Amino acid sequence: MTRKRRRLWVLLACGVGLGSATALSLSAFRSNLVFFVAPSDVAASPPPPGRSLRLGGLVEAGSVQKSVMGGQPATRFRVTDGRASVAVSYVGILPDLFREGQGVVTLGTLRPDGSFRASEVLAKHDETYMPKDVADALKRSGLWRPSEGAPPPAASWNTLAVPKQGG
Amino acid sequence: MVRRVDARPTIAPPRTLSRAGRGLHRFANPGRFLRLSGALLPWIAAPGLALTAAGLVWGLFFAPADWQQGDAVRIMYVHVPAAWLASAGYLALAGCSAASLVWRHPLADLAAAEISPVGAGFTAMCLITGSLWGKPMWGAWWVWDARLTSVLVLFFLYLGHIALVRAFDEPERGYRAGAILALVGVVNLPIIKFSVDWWNTLHQPDSITLFGAPTMSLVMLWPLLLSALGYTLVFAALVLARTRAAVMERRIRALLTARARHLEILG
Amino acid sequence: MTHLPFIAAAYAVAVLLPAGYAVAALHRLRLARRRLAALDPRGAP
Repeated sequence: MTRKRRRLWVLLACGVGLGSATALSLSAFRSNLVFFVAPSDVAASPPPPGRSLRLGGLVEAGSVQKSVMGGQPATRFRVTDGRASVAVSYVGILPDLFREGQGVVTLGTLRPDGSFRASEVLAKHDETYMPKDVADALKRSGLWRPSEGAPPPAASWNTLAVPKQGG
Repeated sequence: MVRRVDARPTIAPPRTLSRAGRGLHRFANPGRFLRLSGALLPWIAAPGLALTAAGLVWGLFFAPADWQQGDAVRIMYVHVPAAWLASAGYLALAGCSAASLVWRHPLADLAAAEISPVGAGFTAMCLITGSLWGKPMWGAWWVWDARLTSVLVLFFLYLGHIALVRAFDEPERGYRAGAILALVGVVNLPIIKFSVDWWNTLHQPDSITLFGAPTMSLVMLWPLLLSALGYTLVFAALVLARTRAAVMERRIRALLTARARHLEILG
Repeated sequence: MTHLPFIAAAYAVAVLLPAGYAVAALHRLRLARRRLAALDPRGAP
């Protein structure tokens, strides 16, 4: 029994050591592990122009302007995190989920004038999943406007009276 | 019944017999394990198949489409169970590894060696279905964000365990090395779980958490829970069936060795 | 159904991969049982 007990303690000690080593190195690398930086990060410490980075945030409501450039769709919009916002320009096809109020991650470079030239736009969807009729009912009742933020909590949808179509 | 197996020491490795009957080692007796698992297997496999089928049909044809993702949200009903089992399977692997290192439980070695291939398969399923979901929704098959990268690391841990366990001539050393690798890899599990909260990731945070209300409509939650439960039972049935086969294969090897030795003595 | 090819591919993976594992496991079980019965008719499950 003592040998088993000793093996158990050795194992636990190794686990604690390994766990704290990992926690320490993860917190040291914390800033390098981010997939994207937010507009307020860019405002606080602007990266050198020309350096490629990922900028992430929400598409600001009312900021999307679409046009055509050389046969390709071109889009200008602002990415915001609520505290700062950056103007972004992108030429190319946007993902299906792109809309005002949607989270996006754009890859590109900052230009000297502070605007961002994106070469790739990824849509980031949130963790809420909602049937279309619930979304329509929430929008119709004025409880939620998708371009302005997150929907009310899911627990409230289930008590929501969903009017039948054509009813 | 147990006595009958115990009376034939050539069939089971000796150390199994000396410990049988004590605590966890009650289940270490291979004869008893084979009988018990044989009786249990249909009762895990049949509900597993039925629940998975029900969950998938519900998710594919009856659950509503998402307001912004459209029908692509149906990939959730296979992706989320696969992701959950990739982590849960690894936890089971780590549990078996601890039982193997600390208590030298002989069945734990066999079970660990059989969990890792199944876990690797479900992790691959998670990565493939996630990629098929990411392309139409995010606009990319793959991104190197913390969630996706840590799940890829999990996949490599499984592959490493599969290779390491089978890399030694002496199986005991393979089991020991594999158990250490599996336990070291446990640090990856909280990283996977909390990656979406600790860092900016493209992957969204979890919809279903232990303490918060799910951020999902109930009509989508039910088929998801059904298919998650179904796949969990399927996973368990696969591991149980493979471990049964492994126990029998070990008995076959022991019998062949004993027979060869017997012939040697006679000759 | 929108995005049908992606959904179909994901469900195919999710059905065929576990099914492949199940077929392999059943085959292995059958083989082991047969070999064990040939070696030791009394001890086979």
